[in-house]
Amino acid sequence: MTTATHQHDDRCLDLFKKLSEYIDQELDKATCQQIEQHIKNCPPCRACLETLKTTAGLCRRIEEAPVPVALSDRLKKMINEMTV
Amino acid sequence: MPTSPRKSSTKNNSNDTELVRAIQSGRIDLYQELVSRYERKLYNFGLRMCRNASDAEDLVQDTFLNVFKYLNGFRHEAKFKNWLYKIAASACIKKRRRLKHAPDQTLSLEDFLPGDEAEMARKAPRWATIPLEQLLNEELADMLSDTIHALPDKYRIVAVLRDVEGFSTAETAKILDITPANVKVRLHRARLFLRDKLKNYFEHDHSHPSA
Repeated sequence: MTTATHQHDDRCLDLFKKLSEYIDQELDKATCQQIEQHIKNCPPCRACLETLKTTAGLCRRIEEAPVPVALSDRLKKMINEMTV
Repeated sequence: MPTSPRKSSTKNNSNDTELVRAIQSGRIDLYQELVSRYERKLYNFGLRMCRNASDAEDLVQDTFLNVFKYLNGFRHEAKFKNWLYKIAASACIKKRRRLKHAPDQTLSLEDFLPGDEAEMARKAPRWATIPLEQLLNEELADMLSDTIHALPDKYRIVAVLRDVEGFSTAETAKILDITPANVKVRLHRARLFLRDKLKNYFEHDHSHPSA
């Protein structure tokens, strides 16, 4: 693959498939090293990896909405009926 | 180096085990405590999976109804939280199947290969270099939530369980009754889909995210 046009060969596609597993530390050491070596010389894949990490990180930081009072009341009523 | 995945809380599971065992042994008055412990988590799971708040509320109610019904059959082979989400996820999948007329769209890996001009830069785009806590504001959170909703169902449920709720690959596979390999494939495509939308958001609408 060349960085000038970023033509993807089979090797590049094979590593691209594994970027999420790399982020999640689910790959063996040898494959991690292959990815690290690849992204050193491939700015588009490096940018993809960094933005993918940010994407996953943002999902993990979405704040939770509070439970509506009406739902809590509904659940309490249901439980009272079930447990009496 | 890769980032660490979110760890599940052993302490919470141990607390759940004690509470669930007490309810199973007859202390049904403690069921409210179990519901209070998870109603917010489940409601938010429902908001990510359903199209509206009303459906999310129904999901929470139906899930706790079924949990109560089947709790005596729970044998503690999995964490209670995972069993709870299995019931909730199953309700979501059944509901979506009833409402749907067309099969899920398949996301193709080739469609997400990097290579456009913006990504030919030598450095990662600015939005990927800003600390997450500074990057995430209300508008971005709303946009991200909308984009999660835009994911086809089979990808969305995996992305929500893995990246929003923090379940591991193995746990997600058990909750959804699919293989860990399938979880990984769906998660990667879901993340690539979300990444594409974020990239467009920052490049076209918000080209100068504040640091």
